[in-house]
Amino acid sequence: MSETLTPTTAAPKSDVIARRRFKVPETAALVVFLIAEVIFFSFSSRFFLSWDNVINIVTALSVTGILAAGATILLIGGQFDLSIGSGVAWVGLTFALLNPVIGTAGAVSAAVLSGLIIGILNGFLVTVVGVNALITTLGTMAIFRGLTLSIGEGQSIGVTGFDWALIRPFLNIPLPVIVFVIVASLVALLLRNTVYGRSIYAIGANPSAARLVGLGSKRNIFIAFLISGLCMALAGLTSVSQLGATSGTTGLGLELAAITAVILGGTSLAGGVGSVSGTVLGLLIVAVLGNGMTLMNINSSWQQVATGALLILAVSFDRLRQTVLRSR
Amino acid sequence: MNTPAFLSAQQLRKSFGPVEVLHGVDLDLAPGTVTALLGENGAGKSTFVRILAGDYQPDSGTIELDGVPEHYSVAGARRRGIRLISQEISDAPALTVAENVVLGAWPSKGSWVDHRAVRREARAALDVLDTNLDLDALQSSLRLGERQIVEVARAIRGESRLIIFDEPTAALSDAEAKQLYRVIGTLTARGVAVLYITHRLDEVFAIADRVCVLRDGVISLSGAVSDTTPSAVVEAMVGRAVERTRGEPRSFQESEPALEVQRISASGFDEVSFRAHRGEIIGIYGKLGSGVIEVAEALFGTHPLHSGTMLVDGRERTLKGPADAIAHGIGYLPADRAHDSAFLILPVSENLAAPSWSRLARLRTFMTRTIDATAYRRWHDALGIRSTGDPTQPLGTLSGGNQQKVLLGRWLEAGSKVLILSEPTRGVDVGAREEIYAVLRDLASRGTTIVVASSDYEDIIGVADTAMVMIRGEIVARIPHNDITVNALTEAAGGTIHV
Repeated sequence: MSETLTPTTAAPKSDVIARRRFKVPETAALVVFLIAEVIFFSFSSRFFLSWDNVINIVTALSVTGILAAGATILLIGGQFDLSIGSGVAWVGLTFALLNPVIGTAGAVSAAVLSGLIIGILNGFLVTVVGVNALITTLGTMAIFRGLTLSIGEGQSIGVTGFDWALIRPFLNIPLPVIVFVIVASLVALLLRNTVYGRSIYAIGANPSAARLVGLGSKRNIFIAFLISGLCMALAGLTSVSQLGATSGTTGLGLELAAITAVILGGTSLAGGVGSVSGTVLGLLIVAVLGNGMTLMNINSSWQQVATGALLILAVSFDRLRQTVLRSR
Repeated sequence: MNTPAFLSAQQLRKSFGPVEVLHGVDLDLAPGTVTALLGENGAGKSTFVRILAGDYQPDSGTIELDGVPEHYSVAGARRRGIRLISQEISDAPALTVAENVVLGAWPSKGSWVDHRAVRREARAALDVLDTNLDLDALQSSLRLGERQIVEVARAIRGESRLIIFDEPTAALSDAEAKQLYRVIGTLTARGVAVLYITHRLDEVFAIADRVCVLRDGVISLSGAVSDTTPSAVVEAMVGRAVERTRGEPRSFQESEPALEVQRISASGFDEVSFRAHRGEIIGIYGKLGSGVIEVAEALFGTHPLHSGTMLVDGRERTLKGPADAIAHGIGYLPADRAHDSAFLILPVSENLAAPSWSRLARLRTFMTRTIDATAYRRWHDALGIRSTGDPTQPLGTLSGGNQQKVLLGRWLEAGSKVLILSEPTRGVDVGAREEIYAVLRDLASRGTTIVVASSDYEDIIGVADTAMVMIRGEIVARIPHNDITVNALTEAAGGTIHV
């Protein structure tokens, strides 16, 4: 204890300098698992490690990945969004219906707006009305799925003149992959290096304390739902362009795929813990598993079994690790 | 005493890591006797009680039950008739009174709950306590004192030999406390041994047969209540506080008022007025439920005021919330550290920098780990924080006292001109407590205005220039610097001690 309360202004003394001890990152186990997966599948299929197949894998995860980036923010903040799969279909429908009427630019704007509307509705219900996020988004999930089915009359609606997602500007990489990389990088930057991101971790870690240090919990959570709505818009526009059509069943189950990847990537359901890099690893692990099993000619139903089992194993492993760490 | 003890603890020692908390404690508890256990925070009371209840195992020493040395777990303690009624009520609000009495040990026929037996057994337990609570009333409809009675009823089901009460009346009204005393009288008449933990001297002399005082892990007083005096108990318990040199009174007539409230009222308190000058420390003392914490919260704007005015630096302010209070230079350290103040899983540096983020960030937006770490290092030495020195160390890995220093540092970094502290040394060990007092005095000498709201008189004696005492939401006494003593505070707060 110093005699008087003087802030340290000089260069930090040795005992307080951040000791850059080597720390094993929390995601290390995931990297090891991913490498093991890659080694296993490269032995079972010669095609697996080809550039074309690598492109296949990342293309397949790009729509889910865009959604998972937004979901990562919400889960770290202790929230949840189940409406993202329905949102993709809703955005797709908005675009497909308006594209022939008001042109591509107008339809894109309307589609973005339609995604934001879901985000605003979710954010309003959770932060202003105070409904639990799980219940709110379970409701909006059903509402927007139902609206999409009813307005689109359950039909598949074709889209013409909107095939940007098929463009492969360099190295044969399609644009959706690049969009995904940009979104993931932006969200990573937002979470790691902005006051907003720090606040989201703090709100997830202890909402009451966050309020009492003036971090504006409600406003920040509202913004997180808006970002999730924006991700729906991007994912919806990507999906409709990739498929050249949209229908009532577009994006079915995407919310679960995205949240699975986020949790697999080490983000805690209790909030306060997680990262975009973890989410990307989670996405890759699931996508590689699916792709490898397809190449091995294993029925896609079994891929679902494998993904589900993997999620439970990963979380159980993490629980076990924490129990061991705590008991030491 | 002639009756042989039911429980006899001999030379109990217990350490946590390198720190020995109990240094060989002896205690005999006889059937039909109420033994009061007193001691200041951090004296080792709760550790001792948790050993008796089977929750901790002693490092050395023995516990004899009816003269036989025994080792037991929590479940074992229950089988042997030892019951602990802890400070926090643990009931099921959505169930009925009868169901709450039998909670955890439902009367059953095979796998089915025997509803008739539930009512019968609950009635029997409540009859023993001589209360006529409605068996079918929902637990959530009961007042606090009634819920406590239900806790007691649950504890005495089956054969109970020893009941340990951990500060049962801390949150009770006087009438409710009296009802509890009657219940304890009924229990001892039936031959149950009672260990009664309290910090209220009036209770000791009202209901206890024997008194035992723990100080810094050793018994500093033990004997029959009839053989001792309140002043002897106070000295055994807080001797150091009585001797505490409080320094010369300081005058604040010259300095301008930094915080002034005029007849403010809100939920929990009424018509509170006071004026705090630059560099002055105001202590507000009151038992739990007296409104002390509510006043502190109101000064930080967590709840809107019903009426009255608040002036910060001479200007009238209506606080719209914590963020608003912070913007006006007010900082707040809440009473419940884990729930309202600490981000236990986040780095210490972020915990310290959080309220200052938007000021510290580049373009008020972009943060780096270095910015947090720099803020942390700025206060690490000045506050005497004992840590690994790694700014990314999670806050939860520090001891309670050091956590509190980090959270105090939060408002130093924010440059708060007014600091509101609620129960600042709760869950803090004795050494860190003195360091926190030293920090507060030092801050005040540099012009920070501090309001300490506490149910712990040590906090008030330790730092306050002026003290106010609250009962049931109203200020009942204002005590000038030279008259702030344990007796003056507890007497004004309703604990009648005549020393």
